[in-house]
Amino acid sequence: MMGLDTFLAVASGGLVLGALYALMAAGLAAVWTTLGIFNFAHGAFIALGAYIGWQIADAQAAGLGLALGVAVAVVVLFLAGVLFHLVLVRPFERRPDIVTASVITTLAGTAIIESALNLIWGPRSKQLARLGDGEIDLGLIRIPVADLVLIAVVVATLSGLGWFLRRSRTGRAMRAVSQNREAAELMGLDVPRLYALAFGLSAAMAGLAGIFVGGLRFMAPTMGADPLMKALIVVILGGIARFTSPIYAAILVGLVESFANYFVGLYWTPAVLFAIMIAVLIVKPSGLFGHHQRTL
Amino acid sequence: MTALLELRQLSGGYSPIQVFQNVDLVVGPGETIGFFGPNGHGKTTLMKTISGVLEPWSGDVIFEGRRMNREAPRGSRRFRNFNYDAVTRRRMDPKEVARAGLIHVAQGNLLFPELTVDEVLSIAPMAAAGRDSGNRFGLAQVHALFPRLAERRAHKIRFLSGGERQMVSIAAGLLTVPRLLILDEPTLGLSPKLRKELCQSIRAIRDMGVPLIVIDQDVAFLSALIDRLYLFDHGRIARALPRAEIPDHGKLMSMLFGESLT
Repeated sequence: MMGLDTFLAVASGGLVLGALYALMAAGLAAVWTTLGIFNFAHGAFIALGAYIGWQIADAQAAGLGLALGVAVAVVVLFLAGVLFHLVLVRPFERRPDIVTASVITTLAGTAIIESALNLIWGPRSKQLARLGDGEIDLGLIRIPVADLVLIAVVVATLSGLGWFLRRSRTGRAMRAVSQNREAAELMGLDVPRLYALAFGLSAAMAGLAGIFVGGLRFMAPTMGADPLMKALIVVILGGIARFTSPIYAAILVGLVESFANYFVGLYWTPAVLFAIMIAVLIVKPSGLFGHHQRTL
Repeated sequence: MTALLELRQLSGGYSPIQVFQNVDLVVGPGETIGFFGPNGHGKTTLMKTISGVLEPWSGDVIFEGRRMNREAPRGSRRFRNFNYDAVTRRRMDPKEVARAGLIHVAQGNLLFPELTVDEVLSIAPMAAAGRDSGNRFGLAQVHALFPRLAERRAHKIRFLSGGERQMVSIAAGLLTVPRLLILDEPTLGLSPKLRKELCQSIRAIRDMGVPLIVIDQDVAFLSALIDRLYLFDHGRIARALPRAEIPDHGKLMSMLFGESLT
């Protein structure tokens, strides 16, 4: 089998992946639960965030440091998300076939963003520096500081999101809109604005995730496709009963992926993940932590 | 003095089915009126059109002298296939109606199942922002009106009974500082005990000076509450009765359906 040190190394790798997936899936779920549509451009947002971060931070470009790169990427992606909603989703909001219409428009958005990235930055692979240097020696294993930073940032972001949704008035209004649009309108809540806000927050989280992905893998305009698929698995596996359910599922998927990489190899990992997802859906159709009610 | 709410030749329905036509109605300042009529004749549809959830087909909704609907777009059929909001704008926006102070507590309101009572009541005042009104309602008054909500404050709406849900809906409506409150069958399907409690609270709300439009099937409750009763039948107002002339339930039914068989 495996020694304890290998086990710990694989598990810690899985936790890092899980944290990253949680960040991506929480953003995806925020749009899904609030607007009731699936945003296929979430992967393209991840790529856009990575490229903007690179443009600000990398020595070959502006070279202003990664911290500033993160900040700019998050802000720009928030605005991009709001714009995306305004142009590609909101015009179809009152149509009865909004779900299918939004599949097409968000896929179109993906194509537009990826082509734009190709046009501006070219197809050559780039890589971002990671947040934090060096390793910490924990006896059995050595963990890169960047991994700890990643986990800390994700925990802070998701706690912040949780606080916003549960405690702030705007966050509560956003949950209300996701649960009953008509009642929210009758109460005088500004539904389109709350939708735009959900889209913006989702895109901002995708931008943040993009910076981390750009540090772990090579960046290419289509780099968002794989994270999008993983986030989709996470959201379907976990269900969207509350905003924490994709987070638990993300950690599970990260660990499964890490151990599957070790035992059955990189090539078969997606198959293992999909098999688990299908098995879970047969037993619990609304996901591991699911209710039928979609909410935040 | 401008009327509180005025409907001029209002028609509407669920396209392509027209549900009510050419409804004229004037609610004066401080008035409380009631609607009574058979199920399925368009009372709820009319209320939904007044609050902007459904778009009016023709006619105007004027609230405190301000027209809440836009003009019907000229030649709008030409733009039928354009779906962009800039081309075919909503003729009425429920948010604007609610922010003007016309609050509609919908029938059988499911509200927000996963939010707690306190959370719902905390977002309700968002629509009231900036509105000046004689009836300032705070959480304390609402809890005094509906003591059950104080007990259930941490419960999710999903776990409340139908009557308690209705109470949360009305309480949330009050917290938005209404200048006119529409209650659509507030006592529908409630146990007699809860119904009595709710009727008392509604009377208390009227006594605080909140103008009401109440739809209900209980004539005795209505006649004690309202200034005028409208009989609604086949999508139009069949009769308007001042409070003194409201007969009992049997008479009213025979007015609507002709002489009873017995």
